[in-house]
Amino acid sequence: MYRKIIIGILLCLSGSVMAHEWTPTYPKMKYSFIDGIMVTTMDLFNKREDISWYEIGVYDKDFNLIKHSVQGGKVQYVPPLQRKSVDVYIRSKDMDKATYICSKSKIISESEKATVVASRICSKIK
Amino acid sequence: MFKKALLTSAFVACTAQAQVADVPITGNVASKCVITTDTPGVFGNPVSNKLSTLPTDGGVLPIVRYDIIEADSYKAHITWPQSFTTSPVLNDVVNWTGDVELAEVSVAEMADFETNKVQWNNTTEYDLTIAGSAWFKITSVADYGFDKSFPGGQYRAAVIAECIAK
Repeated sequence: MYRKIIIGILLCLSGSVMAHEWTPTYPKMKYSFIDGIMVTTMDLFNKREDISWYEIGVYDKDFNLIKHSVQGGKVQYVPPLQRKSVDVYIRSKDMDKATYICSKSKIISESEKATVVASRICSKIK
Repeated sequence: MFKKALLTSAFVACTAQAQVADVPITGNVASKCVITTDTPGVFGNPVSNKLSTLPTDGGVLPIVRYDIIEADSYKAHITWPQSFTTSPVLNDVVNWTGDVELAEVSVAEMADFETNKVQWNNTTEYDLTIAGSAWFKITSVADYGFDKSFPGGQYRAAVIAECIAK
């Protein structure tokens, strides 16, 4: 009983400012306005106050990088507590290989904070 | 007869009202796996050739929390570091060791994550089959050369915590 209460308190205290969210879990690709290019929209919510930059990548099932393009660049500036929607473009001919769309937090090496955790969330293309 | 007519008219009135009622439905899609840095780790320097996050070595273990909103949708990959992201110039090899361990769970059944974990190289994989929150602690130890002293300066290394959709 007490254990559950303590866990609840910990969740309330610590969960709000150090997390990273990436949705949807199973994105669906659709045709873009460019011939031969598919697109999907992903949402990134940065609740990590120590991170402001995220890299977006598309990978095959073995996590080899697939050629792709991201609206606004592959490295995105997302200030803490901000949400950002980005369009991810993949060539139609790569669609049979493309499996994951991932966002990874980027740590600035000169940062004074002792951050040692880089987070990466990967959604699976359906 | 009068009762039947009353019921029919009440039913008609209700359906008519339902037809004109405008019921908005709104919703947000929330992430089904959330990675949270509960404790950023700190390297302790118990002897000149060793940096360690172990509390017995004066360090602080980094703790990462996974909030699993949808069971059986994600796998967690946690990778302990094998290089520094920030350090002074090092002329000799650094030997890295590490470990990832389930520290705390919100649902008792999640303790099975630890028994079913899979390890390769410096990565540990957990199958997140139960919804809830799980805390993982990461040990990281760096030994420099053959009993060589680490040069003075700031050292930082990154643990990678991943949520991979299944």
